[in-house]
Amino acid sequence: MNAIRDILSTVEGTEFDERGFFQRIAASGARALLIGRRALVALGLPLLTADYDFWVHPEDTENFNAAVSVLGLVASHTSDEARKRGRYVLENDEHVDVLAARTVSTPDGLVVAFDDLWSRRQTLHLDPETPVTLPSLADLILTKRFAQRPKDLEDIRLLLTLLREEPKS
Amino acid sequence: MSDGIRPASPETRARLKALAEQPLPLEEWRRRLAIPLSPEEMEHTQALVQWFRRRYPTAGDRLAYVRRAYKRWTGQSG
Repeated sequence: MNAIRDILSTVEGTEFDERGFFQRIAASGARALLIGRRALVALGLPLLTADYDFWVHPEDTENFNAAVSVLGLVASHTSDEARKRGRYVLENDEHVDVLAARTVSTPDGLVVAFDDLWSRRQTLHLDPETPVTLPSLADLILTKRFAQRPKDLEDIRLLLTLLREEPKS
Repeated sequence: MSDGIRPASPETRARLKALAEQPLPLEEWRRRLAIPLSPEEMEHTQALVQWFRRRYPTAGDRLAYVRRAYKRWTGQSG
C-alpha cells in the first residue's frame, strides 16, 4: 500500500511544504534573506509570483542547499561555481532564485552589500515555529533596483507606501 | 461550444516573459523613479494592504493565499 502511495505521489507531484522549507532554512544557520515578491507578500502586499528569491551569504550556500535538498530542491551549480557566478537556481516543482554575492551593483552605480542588509534584517513569523528573515523595508527597496525592470518600479512604489507607514524609531 | 479564448502557447509565454524581464534604459528608469507617489496612489495601496492583512493575518496565511491564487491563475490561463 505504501509503495502504491509513493508511486502516486511521484506521478501526481507532491504539495510543497512551505512551512518546512522556511523552517529548514532557519534551522540551517545560513545567512539567507528572502527578497523579491514573496517578501512583499509576507509583509502584506497582495502580489502574484511564481518563484522564491533569496540573497544568501556566499559562504553559506552549502548549508542553504543542504537544508532544502530534503524537499527535492536541486542546485543548478556547485557552490564554487555559484560563488563565481554570483547566482544560481534551486529547482524541482518549485523554482528558487539565489543571489550568492557579497555585493551587487545597481545599474545606476549603487553598491549594495549583503553584510549591511544582514545587519539591518527583520524577522517575520509565518507561525510561531516558522521564522523568515527579510531585509528592512528600505533595503528591500534597494534590492528592487538591481534589475531595473518595470515591475520593480511598481514594487518600489508599493514598498515606499509601507515605508511611510512604518513607525519612526 | 468554445468561448473563443485559448491559452497562450509556450512560445508566446516565453516571449512575454522575456519582454517583462527586460530592463528599462537608465534614463527612463530614473525618470519613472522620480515620479512622486500621489495621495490617491498611497490611499489605494494602504486600502489593499489593510484588506490583505485583515483577511490573512499572518505572513504564513498570506504566502499560502498567494500560492493558491497563483495556482488558480495559471490553471485558468492554461
